[in-house]
Amino acid sequence: MAPTLGNFALWLSLFFAIFQFFTSRKNNKLKFITVSVNGLLISSLISFFLLMYVHIVSDFSVLNVFQNSHTTKPLLYKISGVWGNHEGSMLLWILVLTIFNYFIFKLYNKKNSAFISKTLETQAFITTGFILFTILTSNPFERMIPAQENGLGFNPILQDPALAIHPPLLYIGYVGFSAAFSISIATLSVEDGEKIPWHIYMKPFVLAAWTFLSIGIALGALWAYYELGWGGWWFWDPVENASFMPWLLGTALLHSLIIVEKRKSLRAWVLLLSILAFLLSVIGTFLVRSGILTSVHTFALDPSRGIYILIFAALLGGYSLILFGVKSKRYFDNNYFTFFSKEGSILINNILMVVICSTVFLGTIYPLLIEALTNNKISVGEPYYNSTVIPIMIPAILVMGIGPILGWGKEDKSKTLKKIFPTILLTTIMTIFIFLIYQSYSVIGIAGIILAFWIISNNLLILIKKDKNCSMGMIIAHLGIGLVILGITSSSVWQEEKITKMKIDSETKIKKYNIVFEKINEIKESNYVALRGDFLVYDDKKNIITILKPENRFYLIKNNFTTEASIHTNLFRDLYIVLGEGNLNDGWIVRIYYNPLVIWIWIGSLIIFIGGIVSMNINLRKLKILY
Amino acid sequence: MKKQLLIIPSILFVLILSTFFYLLIIERNPSELPSNLLNKNVPNFKAESLLKNENFVSSKEFGNEIILVNFFATWCSPCRDEHVYIKRFANEKGIRVIGINYKDNSNNAIEWLKNLGNPYSDVPIDKDGRIAIDWGVYGIPETFIVKSKGIIKYRHVGPITKKIYKKINLLIREIEQ
Repeated sequence: MAPTLGNFALWLSLFFAIFQFFTSRKNNKLKFITVSVNGLLISSLISFFLLMYVHIVSDFSVLNVFQNSHTTKPLLYKISGVWGNHEGSMLLWILVLTIFNYFIFKLYNKKNSAFISKTLETQAFITTGFILFTILTSNPFERMIPAQENGLGFNPILQDPALAIHPPLLYIGYVGFSAAFSISIATLSVEDGEKIPWHIYMKPFVLAAWTFLSIGIALGALWAYYELGWGGWWFWDPVENASFMPWLLGTALLHSLIIVEKRKSLRAWVLLLSILAFLLSVIGTFLVRSGILTSVHTFALDPSRGIYILIFAALLGGYSLILFGVKSKRYFDNNYFTFFSKEGSILINNILMVVICSTVFLGTIYPLLIEALTNNKISVGEPYYNSTVIPIMIPAILVMGIGPILGWGKEDKSKTLKKIFPTILLTTIMTIFIFLIYQSYSVIGIAGIILAFWIISNNLLILIKKDKNCSMGMIIAHLGIGLVILGITSSSVWQEEKITKMKIDSETKIKKYNIVFEKINEIKESNYVALRGDFLVYDDKKNIITILKPENRFYLIKNNFTTEASIHTNLFRDLYIVLGEGNLNDGWIVRIYYNPLVIWIWIGSLIIFIGGIVSMNINLRKLKILY
Repeated sequence: MKKQLLIIPSILFVLILSTFFYLLIIERNPSELPSNLLNKNVPNFKAESLLKNENFVSSKEFGNEIILVNFFATWCSPCRDEHVYIKRFANEKGIRVIGINYKDNSNNAIEWLKNLGNPYSDVPIDKDGRIAIDWGVYGIPETFIVKSKGIIKYRHVGPITKKIYKKINLLIREIEQ
């Protein structure tokens, strides 16, 4: 019953989406638009929660449940299993789309009815596209007859709390850009677009998208860090790039919107960026789900899906970019900026973000281009990204430190120097202090650490001085970025890795820590069996610090192995142990990592998230004044 | 700014999408990796055999006919999926298949072959993954076509599907001619 109802609700949402497209296109009857927007939201809520219901009750007459679930799976993962697979995740994607659709509708009033209707029309087109895609190529309610006794189980490496909430956050990010996209299309299309405060409408959506995308990416990285057992958190995998690229453009977009608001400039640029940010989200989806390139994120592959998304992306991109080409002329502004001003610094950062995004994009699709042109296979990996992205990041971060203290328009250089003097002092002290602790030097390391402290001390000082020119959300988010840079730099520059074979009772040393392999245990859980090593960690004064317990798990239903790293974290470093292969006689291969300051990446990301939320609050208040 | 410049984003977009489109419609497998061993001799190795009492010696086995070499393990679920096709190679096409049992428990492997059927003429045991390293194995399952004189002609990474099954058959026919 439930799957049939769910399927019905999905079809119903298709109907409402098409209905919304036509009613908002004509923009005459508010009643009809109201019905379609609410109907769309309610029907997609129903279909999503019915899918969740069939997952919770393990209804194995549904193919999607059979393929991805099992009765022994813990409840949390039965729920997160809904979006842990391609079909279900599309339903979540649609749900988020309709929620944003609803918020756009809330902006509707007498003065902007033509504008909001156009936005809703575009949004309805996007929603229709995704619902059709789901129904035609990946319907999660597909039945299988006869129903099976039990399911095939859920990929064990996805059974993890961070990964349970990672996709919803990420989708809020991707889909949030759809709202900015629709607003941009409406701005370009309607006659009196200049009179509409479209940038005030757009900003909360961009902020929401950016904030949730940030925390979503951070959670994904956190998961990769402790679950994959490779000692790192970012691998420049195509799927990671697919989320990083919209984030970069979103960052540029967010900052450009400030200039639109304060200086009435860069309007055409903002309209283009909001189109590109969403197009990149769709192309990212295409890259991940069409199977056109290989990645650690293996969604079930099906070429027909690829063709569909590609056609959809072509329609969206073709229409929006041509519209931009034809209609954007009236949004060109001839204001020139002084280099040494707030808007100057934002503009520089804008350019750098776009350059980084293009670099990552090139790296991601380069193997595909080469294959299409020459039929050779190449792969682009970490060395490319490290040697291209980092050098562009460095000036961006430097500017990010100065930008907030500069004023709008012209700025007196000597006055600025006076203003930043305390920052320089604080940065120097902190940098010297940290190098005294870690005592290892490299050019990149020094540059990264100085820049991190540059941002941190700058924002701390603004926070203390309570500068009225700077928004609270901005300061918090920038502080978070500084902490993330600190974590990234120090853990990559000062990481130590030790791979060694250890027998029981043998010991090894990393940095000042002595690690003793005490024993190995066999563990039985409901859905896996595991070997667990107990490693005693002593510091240089022979005090015991912790017992690390890495595991090698074997999941019975899915028939595969996972390694569970064991990590001891404090504010200064992580000790990270992975148990490899081995046996009692020969010993086990053990990988030990000493990762300095990693925790600041996660703390920083959380602070960025808080900053985003604070900023969202401020911008929603600005929006309310209009009503 | 010149108005014509505004069309650049759309042109770039079209170019990128056409590349994607082209790659989607041509016959290609993204997990297919070229091997450095292509057109070279098989790496020599000696290993215990799962099925026989004597050791498996590669130099004695390769050379006279077309042989498929399949890396598998009981813990690898895609290996189970492709097993039907491996059996079809052996039973329907009469091709000799050597299965290299990669980092596995031998008892499990014997049990596995008993239950699913054994298409392999011999099963050398690669307990520590040494042989796989010599062959440049990326992740199992992987399958190689070795033609006479022990020269590697083709490598497939990942499970054999219906499409790949047909492709390998075609390749074998080509090599035979």
